[in-house]
This record gives sequence, C-alpha cells and structure tokens, in this order.
Amino acid sequence: MQPILALDGVSKSFAGIHALKNVSFDVRPGEVHALMGENGAGKSTLIKVMAGVHAPDSGDIRVNGEKVRFASPREARAAGIATVYQELLLFPELSVAENIFLGHAPRTTLNALDWTQMRNEARRLLDDLDSHELDVDARVGSLSVANRQRVEIAKALSQDARVLIMDEPTAALADADARRLMDVVRRLRDRGVAIVYVSHRMPEIFALATRVTVLRDGAYVGTHDIGDITEAELVSMMVGRPVDQLFPKVDAEIGAPVLELRQVSYRDEVEDVSFTLRAGEIVGIAGLIGSGRTELALTIFGITPATSGEIRLDGKPIAITSPKQARDLGIAYVPEDRGLQGLIKTQTIRENLSLALLDRISTATIVNRARESSLARELIKRFGIRARGPEQRVRQLSGGNQQKVVLAKWVATEPRVLIMDEPTRGIDVGAKAEIHALMSRLASQGLAVLMISSELPEVLGMSDRVLVMNNGRIVAEFDRALATPDSVGAAMMQTQDLAEVA
Amino acid sequence: MTATLRSLLRHETILAILLVIVLAALATQSDRFFTTANLLNQGRLMAEVGLVALAMTFVIVTGGIDLSVGSILGLTAILLGVFWHNLGMPLPVAMVLAVVAAGIGGLVNGVIITRFKVPPLIATLATLALYRGLAEGISQARSVRGYPDWFFVLGQGDVWGVPTQLWILGVLVIVAGVILGLTTFGRATYAAGANETGARFSGISVDRTKLLIYTASGLVAGLAGVIFVSRVSTTRSDMGTGLELDVITAVVLGGTSIFGGRGTIIGTVLGLILMQALKNGLALSGVKGDGTIVVIGLVLILAIVASNLFSREGDG
Repeated sequence: MQPILALDGVSKSFAGIHALKNVSFDVRPGEVHALMGENGAGKSTLIKVMAGVHAPDSGDIRVNGEKVRFASPREARAAGIATVYQELLLFPELSVAENIFLGHAPRTTLNALDWTQMRNEARRLLDDLDSHELDVDARVGSLSVANRQRVEIAKALSQDARVLIMDEPTAALADADARRLMDVVRRLRDRGVAIVYVSHRMPEIFALATRVTVLRDGAYVGTHDIGDITEAELVSMMVGRPVDQLFPKVDAEIGAPVLELRQVSYRDEVEDVSFTLRAGEIVGIAGLIGSGRTELALTIFGITPATSGEIRLDGKPIAITSPKQARDLGIAYVPEDRGLQGLIKTQTIRENLSLALLDRISTATIVNRARESSLARELIKRFGIRARGPEQRVRQLSGGNQQKVVLAKWVATEPRVLIMDEPTRGIDVGAKAEIHALMSRLASQGLAVLMISSELPEVLGMSDRVLVMNNGRIVAEFDRALATPDSVGAAMMQTQDLAEVA
Repeated sequence: MTATLRSLLRHETILAILLVIVLAALATQSDRFFTTANLLNQGRLMAEVGLVALAMTFVIVTGGIDLSVGSILGLTAILLGVFWHNLGMPLPVAMVLAVVAAGIGGLVNGVIITRFKVPPLIATLATLALYRGLAEGISQARSVRGYPDWFFVLGQGDVWGVPTQLWILGVLVIVAGVILGLTTFGRATYAAGANETGARFSGISVDRTKLLIYTASGLVAGLAGVIFVSRVSTTRSDMGTGLELDVITAVVLGGTSIFGGRGTIIGTVLGLILMQALKNGLALSGVKGDGTIVVIGLVLILAIVASNLFSREGDG
C-alpha cells in the first residue's frame, strides 16, 4: 500500500548541530509504525518535522505521494497529520468539549458557537475511543492524566486526522491505563489511521507495532517488520553495540555499617524506621507511591528533619537538620524529580556540577574557575555525559544525560552514603544500563547506596538487600537470594491491617 | 571568552552601544551636557540610586524585590537627625546607628520573606508603608538642620576632584561585582533565583542567602540615606519617596531578569548611567520632566525587547 506520509532524506540542524541526518521514514494507513531510539537520537525532531513545527533543511515530505512543505503546525494539521505530545497541551480551565474543538468549533448560521453540535460531536469522538464515562462538560483540569490524554486524542481526531503521531503516550500512565490506551491505538489502526508511535516500553512495541524504525544520533539505523526482530536486536540497534546484562550488579565486599537508623520518624509520614546500611552495599527500597519511601530519603537528607529517633553515621549519633549539613557529613541524595530538585536547568553543566562542592573549589570564597572547568570536563568524561561541552545548558540535554549530571554532581562530593530516588525514571535503555553499571561500580568502591525505585526488576536486579515500605513503615526485609517479584510484591501490597500485624 | 560570559554580556553589550548612542545624541543637543563639571555633578546625583541598585541587583537575581528601600532611606535620614539633634549623640555614632537601624529594617524584610513565606512583593510593600509611617511619626513633620561642616564632605565634597559619594559607589560597585560574579555567595544567589528547590537540594542555604541579601539591601539604603542628608543639608521624612522605582528601573534596564537567576552588576551600572544621562541630557535639551519619564519608559521597553530578540537561544 502506498504510504500516506513519507519522509525522504530529511536533514535538520540547529545552530550547526545535526539533529537529523538524511532520515527516511514512512507510514501507511492502518499500521502502527514504532519510532525508537535513545533520548537525543532525533525522535522528537523527526516528529516535529512531520508535525510542521520544524521545516527540514533538506529532503522531501510527501503526503499521499504529493510533495508538501509545511510552513506551520496548522498546515500539517490541515493535511491530516495530528500529534499528541508527551506534555499535553490542553487548557485546564476549559471543558472537555471546548478543548476538543478549540480553534475549529462548529458554528451556527449566525456564526455563533454551536454548543449542541460541539457537545454531541465531542461525545461521539469520545465514545469512539471507548471513553463512555468521560463527561464532555467536565473541566479538563479535574481529569486524570489518562483521561486528559484521551481528550487530546479526541482533539486530534476531531480534525479528521489520517496520521496520528503519538510521543510516548504511556510514559505517564499506570499499567491499567496504558493497556486501555493500547486498545484505543489498535481501534484507530483498524479504522485505517496511520499511527507513528514513540515509546521506550518494549512490550508495547511488540504488542502494537507493525514495523519499527530506529534512529541513533540523528541518523537512520534501519526499519524492520516487528516479526523479524528480537528485543535484544532492537536494543543493540538503538545503542549501537550489544548491551551487556541488563542489571550488571557485581558482588562487592560488604564492610562496616555506615548509616544506621533507629526508630526514626517524621510526623506520620515516616514511622519507626530502623535499618543499617553498610559500606559497599546496595539496599533497595520497594514500595508503592505514597508508601513513605521518598519521605524517608528526605528525612535522612535533612529536608524534613526527623521528629524522633536516632541516626548514626559511622556509629556516632548525628542530628541532620538541613541538606547542607547532610552533604557536609557525606550524605548525597539524587532526587526523584531531576528537573525541579536535581538540577538548575537554565544553568550550564559546569555550574550544575560544581554547585554541591563550591566550597571545595574556592579560595577565600572566590570560585576557582579553572578548577571548576577542569572538574566539569573530567566528570563529563568519567560519566559519559553526551554534551557539546561544559558550557552547554543542562536543559538542552536528554533525560538520561541530565540524570548523569545529577549523579556526577553528587558523586563528585565524595559521599559515604548515596541515596538514589528513582535513578532511572524516564530515561532510555542505554543510559539506564550505564547508570546501573555506575551504581554497581560505586558500591564496589565502598560507597553505601540506598536505592528507591518503583521498578521492581530494578530493585531486585541491583540490590543486595530489599526493604519494603508500606504506610510509612518498613514491613519486610529480604536478602538478595530471597527477593522475588512475588515475595516483594506481596509485601508492597499488604493492607494496613496486615502491616500492623507484621 | 567562554560561552556563558558571552551570553551574559550580550545584553550588556547592547546596553553599552545604546548608552554610547544616547550620550552622543545628548551631546549634540546641548553643549552643557558633555562637560566634566556636569558629568561629575550627575555622578553625585546618581550615587544614592546607584548604591541601592547594587543590592537590588542581588535581590532581583534571587527572584525577589525590595520595595521598601525608599522608606528605609527616609527612616534612616530621620533617625540620623533624631539621634544627633534630639538625643545629643555624637554625629559619627548617630550615623552608624542610623545605618544599623536600616540594616535591621532590611533584616526584618528578610525574616518576613524567609520565615513566614510572604512573597517579597507583598512583604516589602507592607514595610514600605510601615517604615515611611515610622519616619513620619518620629519626625513629627520637623526637619533637622545645622549639621557641622565636616559632615557635608560626604554629600557635597570632592576627593581628588571627584565627588566623595562617587568614590563610595565605585568601591561598592567593585565589591558587589566581585561577590556576585566570582564568589560562592554569588553562585548561591543565582542558583536560588533560577531554581530555589534545586539550590536547597544541592546543599545551598537559600534562606540564609536571602536573609543576608535583604539585610544588605537595608544597609545600603541606610548608607544612601546618610549621603542624601549630607547632600541636601537637611533631614525630612519624605526623603527617598519613589526611590525604589528608579532603582528597579536601573536594575531591569541593566538586564537583570525579574524572574530571577540572571543579571550582572556591570549591567546595573550601565542601566543606571543610561537612566541618569537621559534624565539630565533631556532636561538640558529643554524637554520637560514628564517627557523625560516617557523617554525612559520607552528606552526600558526597547532595551528589553532588543535583548530578547538577540539572545534567543536555540533548542537543539
């Protein structure tokens, strides 16, 4: 079948940096064409070229075989190409129907808004997406992320989209919602919509896609029918080399206790938590969101100082009342929200890397710029941060590279204890494996690591010991050998009554 | 030159070019403008705003604002008079105490903002009224005159041919420039303004930084108050009214982002000179006061728009 949208030899560069080099891509009606690649591989740029946000420097775009040139996203939409971006672009204060028809609402003969038709049409579109329970008059701000996404898809379809581009649509969704979304995608595919699907989640790609195209460093790597390729092959196409074991945990020598908590509480968010963390050990904390895992980390790091209990470092009782104090004691925290808590995104890599150790690279409070720059260059090299140089702004980096900056910044302070909160959330497979390898190497050098993660395979794969939190308490502890998805999962899901008995 | 330095200087470069154009244009309009005597006199007049603008640059870089500086200046002037004239303290002691009181005024701002989490705009709007009210209450509408001659050296005298307060301003420009541009404190200021949470999570004492900055803002407003009294030989409670607007204009004209995280002392100095040159030059060219304000407003918008146009960054 003839492709409905085809790109041929498209290149695009920003300020002399090639974001896309001679990339070809096409999508046919009734197929899901997955687009994969690590962060920074050029997926976003390619999507934006298709959506008319960026004009290509060279190469052709064809719609139904005819050469086109989009001057704006509006023109691409008029040609039937709709995009659902990762960050949803809805107006929270408007209703569902208003959001769907914003900019192209049906009009009455008097050119006033035709509210009845608008609401009916919105209803029909949502019913089509199997979202019967979604009220067209509800304020979008009151909806869950999954529902907002459906509104966004309905909005795209309201303009007779023949090509639907979806940028990581399941990234922010829980499992059940993600499955429903995949049903919607299948339904649209069966109706003959051509779908470009970007995702990092392998199972989704294999469940949905007809074909898959891989980009790497802005260049086209290859296109395959999904039946002809395995997950491992796909991953190695993305990273450009065979990926070693997924969780490269090496056995480290476990030394003396470094951090000890005795009945530590913070209000009713962290209750009576006791555990010991030894040098060279990686202790994983599993638990549902809201189980008190992050709150525990914030208490140890002095953001929310403990309201009772005792924390010991190297056997000596300490009172941690501020992050500065925690840092000076050798406790580092790689936070959950790297954009807000981990980085100053408008500043350069150099400024971010030195922020937690300014005192050590300054004489009489004057920052030594030469030392700062050489430190930054060294860390960029050591942590494999892919950047133009120390003066690049952090917000221009991909998620994986941003995370490496946060990690590098804290490892540079030479901590005794490293707390990592969701260390690989939202980053691609390649960067993920690198961060796991780093974590393992740091532990083998004698660092005590406390890792919080919502990803059970990560917790089980990386930890020497697993603590399970539930309702602010530690409800179970497993050695590496005994920690299985079933045993840890069961402890995570325990109801409160059971937790109290345990 | 590194990339950051280049991007930081971009606005300053535009401003410097604008300043040269304005100075050249004003020089052709009036032959009294570009004379040493006039320029030095203008330097004398802008010293008070300039001093306060230095601290205000720090305040605005943290993403805050200090509207109370004019009132603090007025309160300092009144206290100076009261301490010396009514309480009979030696004048040097009165000067120091008045400036200390101004510092306390700034500290109070800082405490309200950091401890009680009141937005700086609201907190200092409140103390703007509070400190002005105190000044008026204490002065009882009486002015203090008759200061000894040596006191006028500060505001009316010269050192090696240059107005005394211009020396003070010059020294503090260098001090402020070094602190903001080169020290760990400066880094903490930028980090706190660009992302307060991120700064705190990096072990920066954001509250302490802000507390020091608001205190410093009060202190320099106090110093400016003493110089003001010395320059005009009298103490009145309405001194410094509206000063905050001139100060904020100079700082923002200098490229400091009102949203925090960006700004330099060089920029503030350029903004200050540009503003003073326009005021004086236009007055000499026969433009009326309201016309001058219009021009300053236009230049402010022009400078910001130009710098936004030129400093747009690629998203690659």
